[in-house]
Amino acid sequence: MRKFLCLCLGLAIGLFLLGPVSPVRADDPIKIGLMGPVTGDWASEGQGMVQVVEILAAEINAAGGINGTQVVVEVGDDGGTPRTAAMAAQKLLSSNVVAVVGTYGSSVTEATQDIYDEAGVIQIATGSTKISLTGKGLQRFFRTCPRDDEQGRVLANNVKSLGFTKVALVHDNTSYSKGLADEAREIFKAIGVGEVYYDSIVPNDRDYTVSLTKIQAANPDVIVFTGYYPEAGLLLRQKRELGFNVPMIGGDATNNSSIVEIAGKEAADGYYFVSPPALPDMKSESAAKLMATYQEKYGTLPSSVWSVLAGDAFLVLVEAVKAVGPDSAKMAEWLKTGLKDFPGLSGSITFDEHGDRVGEVYRLYKISPDGQFVIQ
Amino acid sequence: MYDLNFFLQQLSNGLTRGSIYALIALGYTMVYGVMKLINFAHGELFTLGAFFGYTLLVTLGLAGSLGPPLAIGLSMIMVLGLVALAGHLLERVAYRPLRHSDRLAAVVSALGASIFLQNAIMLKWGAQYRAYGADLLPNVVFRVGGFNLPLVRLLVFVAAVVVMAFLHAFIHRTRLGLAIRASAIDQGAAKLMGIDVRKVIALVFVIGPALGGLAGLLVGLYYGQINYNMGQLYGLKAFTAAIIGGIGNITGAMVGGLLLGLLEALGEGYVSVAWKDALTFVVLIMILVFRPTGLLPERVAEKL
Amino acid sequence: MSPDLPSSSLPAAPDANRVDGANGATGANGGGAGSNLLPGALTGLAALLFAFLPLFLNAFAGSSAPYWLDVVNTVGLYTILALSLNVILGHAGMFHMGHAAFFAIGAYATAILNLSYGWSIIATMPVAALAAGAVALVLAWPIIHLRGDYLLIVTIGIVEIVRIALTNNIFGLTGGSNGLVGIARPSVFGFRITRPQHFFYFIWIVVGLTMLLFHWLENSRFGRALKFIKEDTVAAENMGVNTSRYKLMAFVVGAAWAGLAGTIFASRMRTISPESFVFSESVLLFTIVILGGKGSQKGVLLGSFLVMGLPEFFRGFEDKRLLVFGAALVVMMIFRPQGLLPSKPARYRLPDPWPGKLSGAPAAEPVTANGKRAQNGAAATGAAGALSEPSGPQGSDPQSPGPQGPGA
Repeated sequence: MRKFLCLCLGLAIGLFLLGPVSPVRADDPIKIGLMGPVTGDWASEGQGMVQVVEILAAEINAAGGINGTQVVVEVGDDGGTPRTAAMAAQKLLSSNVVAVVGTYGSSVTEATQDIYDEAGVIQIATGSTKISLTGKGLQRFFRTCPRDDEQGRVLANNVKSLGFTKVALVHDNTSYSKGLADEAREIFKAIGVGEVYYDSIVPNDRDYTVSLTKIQAANPDVIVFTGYYPEAGLLLRQKRELGFNVPMIGGDATNNSSIVEIAGKEAADGYYFVSPPALPDMKSESAAKLMATYQEKYGTLPSSVWSVLAGDAFLVLVEAVKAVGPDSAKMAEWLKTGLKDFPGLSGSITFDEHGDRVGEVYRLYKISPDGQFVIQ
Repeated sequence: MYDLNFFLQQLSNGLTRGSIYALIALGYTMVYGVMKLINFAHGELFTLGAFFGYTLLVTLGLAGSLGPPLAIGLSMIMVLGLVALAGHLLERVAYRPLRHSDRLAAVVSALGASIFLQNAIMLKWGAQYRAYGADLLPNVVFRVGGFNLPLVRLLVFVAAVVVMAFLHAFIHRTRLGLAIRASAIDQGAAKLMGIDVRKVIALVFVIGPALGGLAGLLVGLYYGQINYNMGQLYGLKAFTAAIIGGIGNITGAMVGGLLLGLLEALGEGYVSVAWKDALTFVVLIMILVFRPTGLLPERVAEKL
Repeated sequence: MSPDLPSSSLPAAPDANRVDGANGATGANGGGAGSNLLPGALTGLAALLFAFLPLFLNAFAGSSAPYWLDVVNTVGLYTILALSLNVILGHAGMFHMGHAAFFAIGAYATAILNLSYGWSIIATMPVAALAAGAVALVLAWPIIHLRGDYLLIVTIGIVEIVRIALTNNIFGLTGGSNGLVGIARPSVFGFRITRPQHFFYFIWIVVGLTMLLFHWLENSRFGRALKFIKEDTVAAENMGVNTSRYKLMAFVVGAAWAGLAGTIFASRMRTISPESFVFSESVLLFTIVILGGKGSQKGVLLGSFLVMGLPEFFRGFEDKRLLVFGAALVVMMIFRPQGLLPSKPARYRLPDPWPGKLSGAPAAEPVTANGKRAQNGAAATGAAGALSEPSGPQGSDPQSPGPQGPGA
């Protein structure tokens, strides 16, 4: 028994000691980390991020790399949870990345900000829209996605300009969705749009008929939903099932082609959402090229815009290495001062002194009767 | 706002959800009754049913080639068979070797199997949400008095009830059913009576998963949207339903499922959407405080 | 660690041990009255070596040292949690799958006191433990009498209720789904704990203290009473043991300790949100205890290394890593159903004077009080693994004895 015990403990500890040994060579390629939810609830987003970034990296390497040096993408799976993300961050740091792309969820990003900052590594978040992330004075934190307050403003203004006056505001109690709903709520008050209903739904519940009948009783002229596409699709579908005809408008997390499949074309017809432009609407040359390669490799288009923003973060980093070499201090400095109107996939990219992306990114979309996302 | 129509609407909402919980709960309760094992991988078998249905109806396009009614009927039968097979394999690989071990070992094996299956489904079908087409079932809505009753909802409810009625008859009217009941009460005595308990266990591990798989298909048909980890939530809820009804008791699972669905819908309708799951658990705890083995406990006298 | 002379003196033991190990796992607690957890040389050496781990890692692992240290720290944190769950699940035999709830309460107590009231992290530790313990007391009071699986679902319910309450920003304190951000790092005697190597010593010293405390507790009157209750509640009750009270005490102690681990978690992550305390965290802890061998401290230690460490080793599999992990769990359970390092059956030396001065009447009595105890006592002689179920104890182990499985 004792022998077995010693053996097991010895083995476990031995593994821990041996596992990490890796020789470091001088002519190592440039390593850029990619932290995304490859498993867990948001696995589809994470896998999309990996696919897009790897396509871009392969293109760069095929063209000779960055200033002659190959670039390697190190993937760290954050599992969509803060604890796993903290470990993923340490894992990425341990492979000497100069910078990290990611991640998707705001609370997940938040759990890793300090870790990267303390290690002096640049982090460019790609889907983390929570406002306060860039308000901490971190010198090496950036994001290619816009902030919730901007989205809230665009969303609320569009509701008003579409002529709606009584809104039912629905969120799903996630950090992102509630934040966006609260931003929009403030602006509704300021611009004089009345609110007749405000409540949450529970993600993954699938049955939202109860909430819908409650909303119906409040008699709004539009439903504003700030959650994600799986629930938005179901709301549209069940709304139609209940014979409840009221328009619906949502935020950028509903920008996913699956929404039409889930809701059905008839139910999805006329749904509005605000979002950074989807890949086919990104007019850049690089976007067209990415679309073609992706289509060829996976037989479909990236299902979400966030993976494209991960691609943008990657391209910006490559540009920074090109300009000042793989030194994160210099790169961070350059990203804030040297980078002006870089032609990214999603349009031109410039960062302000907080690391936020400058410029209006949001567009209003409407789903057409044949299920297409039409930019308004 | 909170008038009779609203109440009836919530009632119909609750019964639809509840019938799905009940179907899944049956799998938990049958396995538990015979093996005293909480099959934590049952939720994943449910997911598997949903994805088999997706493959048949959408990927292979049965719905297009055969027309929806025939395609749905056919895929129901195939899903029942396929998930039953999966359940059987699961039992052989993950549970049979542990039959005589500590039951908590089987619980952890079940948890491992659940993680494995969930990720296997993710790798096979992808992490994205998958959609059953919205045109599989006709969008007919009955207006009864002042409230809306979609035909689909009625179909789901009827399908679930018919299956449960069959199962009830099977358990109470046939010799195999008798063998299952006997094994649930006392395996040793059942053996002495000439019942092959191994076969009974195998049988239970075929029927339970099949029903769970069918529930998965119904969720796909009714809600139209499935994803690889949907089994977690449904599994937990159905397990709750089985416990409310008194785990091990087949009628209890049906009653528990419907009750849970109603509880959720009414909690959501009259109290709070955000707190309704907490409310459900509070009610569950209250029920167990006053009836420590659920509403219709397994009929096992010697349990202390 | 704890050297077990009798069993190593039985050459044919491994398998015999394994066969009735299932009984052993349910039937006994680590150590036992006669043996010591920390017998000296061997454990001391191991601990000493382990203390140099950061140096080893620095020497051999180069830039990945902080990462591996972080993994080891996570293992340590979950060891503390699993040890506290072990009191409830392993010693008292209560199926508890909601431990993350108390972990969460501790973490939030620390975060709130630190952020809103400026308490230092170390000062919040006892409060976190008290808060978790108090909530456990209130919640467990009405349910403590529930049988096995019914208790299981209720504890799952508790973790869900706590998560929902945190998400809905209960009392306006928890920050809703955003959680709480910017929690301070702990400082001990003016030394600020920031880097992974600091946390390594901080966490593993707490692990050591936890092991000592629970070892002591296990062999106290309280521990022996728990053992008795787990073995046979009815008999224990008949002997005058207030079973509900002891079970409640075990629950509260375990929960309080989880609250204390919450303090460490909060100050290490610096940001906490409800998604860190979901049901699956409870499942992980449950798995650690059962996989390691419930009731056994070294089992729990090994279990934490495997459950928290393996997925890190499997990172190379990328999106397949959890698939492999799930399969590994099944395989490990099939080959070691009693857990990897199950606690050994308690052995009590029966001194000649029967009613003697042994104060632990409840513990000494059962040796002959029923057949089961005889089996435990006689485990070393390999006797009677297949005694039939005496009286269906509390649903905790109806399957173990008879060859025909669940008899109850």
